[in-house]
Amino acid sequence: MKRTLTALALGASVAALGSVAAAADYGSFPGYTLKVKLIGGAQYEPLYAEIGKWEEMTGAKVEILSRKNHFELDREIKQDIAAGTLDWCVGSNHTSFAPQYGNIYADLRELIPEETLAGFVPLVLEHSTVGGRLVQLPRHSDVSNLYYIRSLFENEDNKARFRAEYGYDLAPPETWAQVKDMAMFFADPPDFFGFQFVGKDEAVNGRFYEMLVAEGGQMFTDDWAPAFNSEAGVRALQFFVDLYQAKAVPAGVPNYLWDDTGLGFASGTVAMNLDWGGWSAFFNDPANSKVAGDIGLVRAPKGSSGRRTGWSGSHTFSITETCDNKAAAASFITFLTDYDRQMIEARKGLLPTRTQVWEDIKAEFAAAGDDFMVMVFETFQASMAEDAFTPPLIPEWIEVSNVLWPRLQAAIVGDMTAQEALDVAAKEALAIMEDAGYR
Amino acid sequence: MTALLRTHRTDPAPFLLLAPAVLVMLSVVALPLVFSLWTSLTPYRLTRPETIGAFIGLRNYIRLFSDGAFWAAFGRTLLFLVIALNVEFLLGLGIALLINRITWGQRTLRTVMMFPMMFSPILVGFQFKFLFNDHIGIVNNALQSLGLIDFAIPWLVDGRLAMFSIIFAEVWMSTSVFAILLLAGLFAMPRDPIEAAKVDGCNPWQVFRHITLPFLMPFVYIAMTIRSLDVARAYDIVKVMTDGGPAGRTELLWTLIARTGYENARMGQANAMAYVSTVLSVLFTWYFARKLIAARRTMGGAE
Repeated sequence: MKRTLTALALGASVAALGSVAAAADYGSFPGYTLKVKLIGGAQYEPLYAEIGKWEEMTGAKVEILSRKNHFELDREIKQDIAAGTLDWCVGSNHTSFAPQYGNIYADLRELIPEETLAGFVPLVLEHSTVGGRLVQLPRHSDVSNLYYIRSLFENEDNKARFRAEYGYDLAPPETWAQVKDMAMFFADPPDFFGFQFVGKDEAVNGRFYEMLVAEGGQMFTDDWAPAFNSEAGVRALQFFVDLYQAKAVPAGVPNYLWDDTGLGFASGTVAMNLDWGGWSAFFNDPANSKVAGDIGLVRAPKGSSGRRTGWSGSHTFSITETCDNKAAAASFITFLTDYDRQMIEARKGLLPTRTQVWEDIKAEFAAAGDDFMVMVFETFQASMAEDAFTPPLIPEWIEVSNVLWPRLQAAIVGDMTAQEALDVAAKEALAIMEDAGYR
Repeated sequence: MTALLRTHRTDPAPFLLLAPAVLVMLSVVALPLVFSLWTSLTPYRLTRPETIGAFIGLRNYIRLFSDGAFWAAFGRTLLFLVIALNVEFLLGLGIALLINRITWGQRTLRTVMMFPMMFSPILVGFQFKFLFNDHIGIVNNALQSLGLIDFAIPWLVDGRLAMFSIIFAEVWMSTSVFAILLLAGLFAMPRDPIEAAKVDGCNPWQVFRHITLPFLMPFVYIAMTIRSLDVARAYDIVKVMTDGGPAGRTELLWTLIARTGYENARMGQANAMAYVSTVLSVLFTWYFARKLIAARRTMGGAE
């Protein structure tokens, strides 16, 4: 075991220096079959094509028991917990989901050497820690920044009209108050909209939550009473309500998820779009997007507190406590998140979690003359390092989330005022927290 | 009773022969039902298996009876059922009658008619979600291009339109169930009564109203029973198209139950909801079973 861990550490150090993975030693587990449950989907699959290399290096076999989307995988894992069938070793995980699973996952600080972990962005490792235990190794991260149609902001007529109407220069927005002005300025419904946002499920909670933080508010008090129905909360929600009521966003946004906003921006009919890094290549591909070659990108704007929005999460891998060969499992997830594997994912536009990969992927895109992707990785690197924050890492987050988002929608579509909606949600969230024994 | 006991003592063969079937039924039907009924009397959470042992009596049920959101979803599901079943019935009947009339290409049409049923409900949900997207969806774009509207219709946001859109998707996918069953009924129908009616001077409407339709009614009620059980469990399409939103406007029983049971991991509470919601299915099944018996009696000329 000790020799394996030393080898792992050596392998990781070599990888961190940018050498090829062939130089790394992932240990030897001949004849062992590692059972795993992985997230499936087009953007996650290229990594799994690499699994054969790990099998070849270690002599082990990987048996993929499940390959499902995160919500189905979450359901399956909960069923495994209930049925006591956690007879597998490695599972895909997510920073937003991890707190729900209690102590089923092992503390990776006991399984993966510090030298290996040192290659990861510290803030991302911090987000992967639940109750002081590193329960997941981050694979790639997500945070949102503001894409905009560049030509709209460079148009002299637009500049003059905007200055006359709002009294300041039209430029890529630095604050959310400016976003609101500009969204209303550009909107020409039903043909063109100034902005858009995801409007349902945990997605709208994330957007509200990050705006709440940027407005200086907080989700819970220090003793876990819901605090999002504060003045800052009302300001945060009112931002979405005002844009919706002014028709500066499409009428369907309360039903939008990521595919709707992504395709909407690519259709060239939305001026600004707060979205994930993974969309960058799609937006700039003329085959898919009408705004290819005309995209600007700035860091997510600031709220009235001066803080930027930065709701973030990472796709991760975890090892079960019940795993019968934790060394093999640790070797496997170290391999899946090593330098070379992260470079493969970064080339597809996914945001890496290793410090060195951030630098090298930028250099690779620069050498290929792809200035757009260099700008994308520079912008997202800055926000991952400085602005990113996760939802509260407590098991009750998803449940609280499920009482909050219908109320946010009620305010957005005008069924309730922002204050009423948040008050009702806070009351329901309080019952959840009390049931869970926080208060 | 004495006779039965005597039979039992002297001849255990019938019971032994029935035993495998009884055991299978107990293990695959009764046990899961008893288990889920038990969990509905506990605060069982999937992520905390130890909670399955904590008996809390009827607390989950009592909580439900004061839960406005649950009853709103219950009422909405009832409405959804009534509208979807009737529209599917009318369209299915129309399609079956039309297909029954044609002589060339009937087999091909029957096959084509079944295509929507072959799609996964999730796929159907995504398809209609994009068709009804207010901004980039084909429906609004077509209406705007034809100059019929100069604004975007919020199909999946407005409460009534969103329910309409979901029912539209459900009807698109499942009308062929009615069409196929009613077509089978039409094929099985004897020609003599129709010919006799025509000889007696009945017009086509009278033939349809007094002969064809009564003959088809048992098939209609069988289709209604099958579809009522399906529609009462509607989940996938709603989950994909609106997830019960916005602001709960399209929340049906099973989107609520699945969220409670899996996302919130409160399986005890979800099972209590599920047990109450089965009342709906039982009521519909009972109603249609009674209608079926009555229709068969009428068809046989007993009444």
